[in-house]
Amino acid sequence: MTIFKMLKFLLFLFFSQLVSAAIVQIDQKLVNKNVERSIDLTSHLVKVTAAITLENTGTSPISNYLIVLEPGTSGNLSFISVKDALKEELVVKPTEVAGHTDKVFYNVILKQPLGGSRTVVLNLEYVLTEAIVPYPNEITQKEKQFVRYFGSHYFYTPYSTTKQTTTVTLNSRNIENYTKLKPVSQSDSSIIYGPYTDVAPFSFDVLSIHYENNAPFLTVTHLHRLIEISHWGNIAVEENIEIVHSGAKLKGPFSRYDYQRDTSSNHHSVKSYRTILPAAAYNIYYRDSNGNISTSTVRTRKDWIELELRPRFPLFGGWRSSYMLGYNVPSYQYLYKKGGNEYVLSMRLLDHIYDDMHVEELETNVVLPVGVKNVKLNAPYEVERLGDGKTFKYLDSLGRVVLRLKKSNLVEQHIQDLEISYEWDTLTLLHEPVLLAVALYVLFIIVIIYVRLDFSINKSEKKE
Amino acid sequence: MVEITALPRYVSPVNPAVFPHLTLVLLGIGVFFTAWFFVYEVTSTKNSRSLRKEIAVSLVASIFSGFGILFLLLSVGIYV
Repeated sequence: MTIFKMLKFLLFLFFSQLVSAAIVQIDQKLVNKNVERSIDLTSHLVKVTAAITLENTGTSPISNYLIVLEPGTSGNLSFISVKDALKEELVVKPTEVAGHTDKVFYNVILKQPLGGSRTVVLNLEYVLTEAIVPYPNEITQKEKQFVRYFGSHYFYTPYSTTKQTTTVTLNSRNIENYTKLKPVSQSDSSIIYGPYTDVAPFSFDVLSIHYENNAPFLTVTHLHRLIEISHWGNIAVEENIEIVHSGAKLKGPFSRYDYQRDTSSNHHSVKSYRTILPAAAYNIYYRDSNGNISTSTVRTRKDWIELELRPRFPLFGGWRSSYMLGYNVPSYQYLYKKGGNEYVLSMRLLDHIYDDMHVEELETNVVLPVGVKNVKLNAPYEVERLGDGKTFKYLDSLGRVVLRLKKSNLVEQHIQDLEISYEWDTLTLLHEPVLLAVALYVLFIIVIIYVRLDFSINKSEKKE
Repeated sequence: MVEITALPRYVSPVNPAVFPHLTLVLLGIGVFFTAWFFVYEVTSTKNSRSLRKEIAVSLVASIFSGFGILFLLLSVGIYV
């Protein structure tokens, strides 16, 4: 009986070891020797970059590094990336750590295992959305917009940190108040915290800054991007954009007179913004449900096309607008031939709308040509693939496959190429002209039959 | 995985620059044969009508008009 019990215990021990091996452990031998963090609060996004110098104080090599998000920010995280000293992207995967199930961890796999008493530099970059909150959240037309940001004085990490400094960049000198954990210094529009030395793991101390920020608080609530491939040499792009000013809400009336008189460029409302289009874009249109919006300007730059869009009305806090932006690009820009009858489309899943953009929900639909087979998708990051749809375009009797992709909470860093490969027969190109020719021929045949029918009431006088 | 940019780029079998000219030529021939067909239909009598000629003329008319309409659509920007 006792032997059986012991065996059972040993087995349990063995399996629990196996399970814990799947979950990453925090290796306390790893130490953040130096962390130089900068928090960019100049727009409505929180852009954090940190140069972390790691040191392995143990002897056995370590091959992974853990990143933990500050409490309460996991829903705001939009983008995270880690690069090594040579600016090469490292693999970052969400993970769970035993004993810290309430926190969100990301596991970074190092290019080479870090040997004992060796150091390595990692560059962490992440972007948080909706982390800067307007305070007060309602202002009148003439008031300035003040916002608050809450973070941590210390770099939040599962490892102990020897030395760290944090630089916070703001977009104005006008700071209502900020937490002062010594040593701290303010120069112009930036605040420098630290250096703090020998900080314990998971140290958290609330940092709060209340400052003036009149940057355009624009949020795209829904973006519907449609890409249509034609093998006659064109790719059509159309974007349906719903946009909202997500800053402090406008309190009281809106005066057009005061608005026109206010010539200062630093205003919390949004008058216009710039969209960057590919250099080869042509036939650009900008309209909404009422029709064409003529308040837009196209400027051709060397490597891109700059589009200055001015909504029908200036956008104040809480005001929304929606419009449609479309253009064509020649197919040779994005379509490649991969031997035989296989083709690859390499195009942006999301494109630029305005600087420091934030897209809450993106749906990209790609309309493939008639008669494609064997469609393969290669996304730059994780996207949700909705069921394939079918659509009928001009002169289409068979229907075209529509690839539907969805993702939420995106920022500028998500502007990356999507790759779709498919097999397609060149002869399918003749589908449309043959369809037209057959339709016309049927008409002619009807005429030929019609002239042979005799609808007359009287019998013809001459009898043959 | 082959590097995408190393692959040859796809170009249309017909240069988009010649779409308007193709439209003019093909649709011109198509309209000519269509006109010929209808003129023949209304001028010929029951006796002089030849089915073979009607079919031949209408076939040529429909093929040229079909391609002509396609390139007309392409040249105005409706990429089918």
